Amino acid sequence: MTRTRTWVAACMLLGCSAAWAQETGYTLRETEVKAKPFLDAQSVGKLPEKAQVTILGRQGGWSQIRADKVEGWIRLLSMRLGSADPAKKPTAVATTIGFGRRGTGAGPTVTTGVRGFSEEDLKEAKPNPEEVKKMETFTIPPAGAAQFAAAGGLTAQTVSYVDADGKPVKVKK
Amino acid sequence: MNARLLLCAVVLVGAVGIVAGCAGPQGQAFMDNIGGVEGLMKNIKQATGTIQEPEEIEMGEGITETLLGARPMVNDPEVQRYVNFVGAWVAAQSDRPNLPWHFAVNDSDHVNAFAAPGGYIIVTKGMMNLLQNEAELAGVLGHEIGHVVRKHHLNAIRKGAYMNLLGAGAAGATAGSRGGELVNALVGPTKELYSRGLDKDDEFDADRIGVVLATRAGYDPWGLAAALQTLAKIKADDKYMALLFKTHPNPSDRLDKLGTAMGTTFDRFNDRPQNADRFQRAVAKIRMVAAN
Ligand SMILES: [Zn+2]
Repeated sequence: MTRTRTWVAACMLLGCSAAWAQETGYTLRETEVKAKPFLDAQSVGKLPEKAQVTILGRQGGWSQIRADKVEGWIRLLSMRLGSADPAKKPTAVATTIGFGRRGTGAGPTVTTGVRGFSEEDLKEAKPNPEEVKKMETFTIPPAGAAQFAAAGGLTAQTVSYVDADGKPVKVKK
Repeated sequence: MNARLLLCAVVLVGAVGIVAGCAGPQGQAFMDNIGGVEGLMKNIKQATGTIQEPEEIEMGEGITETLLGARPMVNDPEVQRYVNFVGAWVAAQSDRPNLPWHFAVNDSDHVNAFAAPGGYIIVTKGMMNLLQNEAELAGVLGHEIGHVVRKHHLNAIRKGAYMNLLGAGAAGATAGSRGGELVNALVGPTKELYSRGLDKDDEFDADRIGVVLATRAGYDPWGLAAALQTLAKIKADDKYMALLFKTHPNPSDRLDKLGTAMGTTFDRFNDRPQNADRFQRAVAKIRMVAAN
């Protein structure tokens, strides 16, 4: 078992929701830091634009962060993941997913060839009716879906669609 | 309605492919049926309304045959069942709860997800590896369900650009079953549409629908935003992202638009479940980890 795998397992046992690596991010604009993930929570500080933060977790639309001098909650969409410094090499999928996470500086170590779905793969595709038939066998009836939802602590909510400005759109349902 | 008539109807809407689409012997019969070119033009408007749900589903099935032809499903019944549970529950909150919704994880390392008319939705194994919890998956599936509910792909295929391809496919289709003919005709448009992508506005629209459907389903509303945050940190030329980045607006723009659309309206659901444990268990067997 690889170290990454063990790490993932430990992470699952402890119930940490973020990726196993320490996630970092940066603010897009001047951002207020709150003591709790609520709009009316007490403010514990302010971060300037492009302040580097360490992500500790997320609740709904709030990210729990630690910065140089302050720790607390900022709006999820007032930040982006990664580094504010464009010179820092951006993240690759391989490292995000984990199969490049060896820390050797070498590229991703994928044992089998890449199973792509590139434009080329699409161009060369031949229709595969058997796969569609197979896909159709997994279909879940409505009662089954409701049971699955209940088992996951999910209860249906009434919410309107919203337009681009966030105004409610008439609900058809 | 047989497939040939459906094809002709679809082609007619685009007006571009009238000759190409209906030039075969059967097409000629169809033309005679509705009374020559003048009649055809008159029927273009009516044809818009003729793609009923069964035909839409048939088209979706044909498109999906090509999409799964590019990469088949991943061989893990558990994860297939799981995405169908999540997908069916989210789709049940949509305006088209009675479509026969089908979901699949394909065996692709690339990060992407696809929707086809009639309720066929595919998520790649790469995408499943990038997501962190069920709320994120619900948001991603909600986005795809949004494309189906709003008939984005169906409408795109009706537009002129795909009509010649559809017509050519129909004319070149060899005799066979009705379904086979339709699939043949759809191969060209499918490849073109799914490598070119939809209009940006359709994508932003699908993002907003995805958020609302996931919220209605009882999830943390910010799952799609969190997934887009992960996508946003990945370099633009990453080969695993190439097709997704080509066919969708860039993730940072999508996040900006979602931020405006979501505002604080969804905050009352901030404490709803993300179901990370159930998600991690479901994807355990398709984890992409180097074996050394
Ligand atoms: Zn989309």
